[in-house]
Amino acid sequence: MPAGRPGPAAQSARRPPPLLPLLLLCVLGAPRAGSGAHTAVISPQDPTLLIGSSLQATCSVHGDPPGATAEGLYWTLNGRRLAPELSRVLNASTLALALANLNGSRQQSGDNLVCHARDGSILAGSCLYVGLPPEKPFNISCWSKNMKDLTCRWTPGAHGETFLHTNYSLKYKLRWYGQDNTCEEYHTVGPHSCHVPKDLALFTPYEIWVEATNRLGSARSDVLTLDILDVVTTDPPPDVHVSRVGGLEDQLSVRWVSPPALKDFLFQAKYQIRYRVEDSVDWKVVDDVSNQTSCRLAGLKPGTVYFVQVRCNPFGIYGSKKAGIWSEWSHPTAASTPRSGEAGPGSPRATPSRGGGEPSSGPVRRELKQFLGWLKKHAYCSNLSFRLYDQWRAWMQKSHKTRNQVGRSRGCARGPASSASSASTSREAAAKAWVTSCTVLR
Amino acid sequence: MSRREGSLEDPQADSSVSLLPHLEAKIRQTHSLAHLLTKYAEQLLQEYVQHQGDPFGLPGFSPPRLPVAGLSAPAPSHAGLPLPERLRLDAAALAALPPLLDAVRRRQAELNPRAPRLLRHLEDAARQVRALGAALETVLAALGAAAHGPRPEPPATATATAATAAGVFPAKVLGLRVCGLYREWVSRTEGDLSQLVPGGPA
Repeated sequence: MPAGRPGPAAQSARRPPPLLPLLLLCVLGAPRAGSGAHTAVISPQDPTLLIGSSLQATCSVHGDPPGATAEGLYWTLNGRRLAPELSRVLNASTLALALANLNGSRQQSGDNLVCHARDGSILAGSCLYVGLPPEKPFNISCWSKNMKDLTCRWTPGAHGETFLHTNYSLKYKLRWYGQDNTCEEYHTVGPHSCHVPKDLALFTPYEIWVEATNRLGSARSDVLTLDILDVVTTDPPPDVHVSRVGGLEDQLSVRWVSPPALKDFLFQAKYQIRYRVEDSVDWKVVDDVSNQTSCRLAGLKPGTVYFVQVRCNPFGIYGSKKAGIWSEWSHPTAASTPRSGEAGPGSPRATPSRGGGEPSSGPVRRELKQFLGWLKKHAYCSNLSFRLYDQWRAWMQKSHKTRNQVGRSRGCARGPASSASSASTSREAAAKAWVTSCTVLR
Repeated sequence: MSRREGSLEDPQADSSVSLLPHLEAKIRQTHSLAHLLTKYAEQLLQEYVQHQGDPFGLPGFSPPRLPVAGLSAPAPSHAGLPLPERLRLDAAALAALPPLLDAVRRRQAELNPRAPRLLRHLEDAARQVRALGAALETVLAALGAAAHGPRPEPPATATATAATAAGVFPAKVLGLRVCGLYREWVSRTEGDLSQLVPGGPA
């Protein structure tokens, strides 16, 4: 009896179909006594074939009364009638079909090859499974949330599409002892992922691999060896607050809380902050925020809304020498810098700049005036004048030294005296310059 | 609700004698459920054919109407039967459907493992038709029209030997048949119950 000719590596996987309880079926293809109707049998039934291979099939008609003929029979594949030249009558009751260079199956449930009577009625059907064996899965990556579980993700074989249902199974075992275990919770973070929720050992390496199986064969990934402590991540820092720094137009203060899930574990936390202007998609990142839970952003635009996020890396857990895995970013928190001249909390209302030159920072100038007044009263200072201060500010503008500092991730600003903004730097520099020329009178 | 609170013989003959309010509410509720499941059954049928591939779902697709053990389509003479008999036949069909839908779901779990919505809807259909059947039985009992004696058990698994020889294509056709029967019987139940709903067609 003609059968499909799969490619050299193919195995026609003909598994017996499982029971369909409670369904007494008058099987398509089985003769029905006394019905007066013709039925047929297609061979092979439900073959599995490699892409590009050929298939030879037959449709044998039988019925009651006997003498059913193959004349007028025709084939369809997925609802499309096949060209007559692909068929030939083998004998009075059998129509043969030859298909070459088969394409991958259109649906996972199999391509529907149907034998029709002359009047179009369906006599029999068979489902073709045409595809490729799975390729070796690769690029396995795993992480543990707070050392309580393990989630792994992988990439299917190089070409991905096998046109057949391919089952992926994540396996793991302790490296030096123990039996193979199979992960059971799939698709947790994408189609090729699995989650092991509990019963994981620390301080001992695991071996992890992925097995892919379909009707045409199986493949196994390389083994990944890891210690849970080396792939720890945690939750994003909670309670992120962003607030203004007094009336400073170019600064915002960010505060957060260390992730509570790891509070009982010995580790060092690294943090990263990223921020962007409200209507921009470009984030600026502040690196190297080590083991602290606050940071001051400087060099910002006045009167602008910023979104800020923070994330945590719990490296060095229990003395692990490897970096941890960055958490997700916290939910965006928004805050706005004061507008130029806008009063901040506790600050005097800003005054417009005077004369030519760069726009002045109202509150800063006011504070400097007050400082000068105090100096005149309580100290003897030579060369003391506001003019000297303005000359110094003009010189700072020309050098542009502080304009772009924060955008290049230079770390958190450390207090008002050391910020990169021209206003606070000039204030500090001006104060220092005067102090050196002053003697405080007791 | 007490066991017998009305009569199905001629529920609307005497307009001055209305069904007790809670029985009336139960009938309305059961009718509404049947109406809802009729819509769900239509959607399930569409979803099912999509996952089997062409020619399933193509206009003019007419597979053989395979017999299914323990359940047949409503007979053409169904509409001419007395209402109590129609409702009893509806209840019997609704009781036979859940294991059939479960069997279709199990087979589809192998054929279409990446169709979770279809599998979930097949599971939901089995559960929902079970609920509709139970509600209808309650109404029948309250009206004194329940079937006499125990209902025959569905055929045992061992008698499904013939089904083990079925290939994938016949399994697809059989699943289509079961989904079609599900739609026909919930629709039939909705129509029959509408004659009980006060204010509905006599």
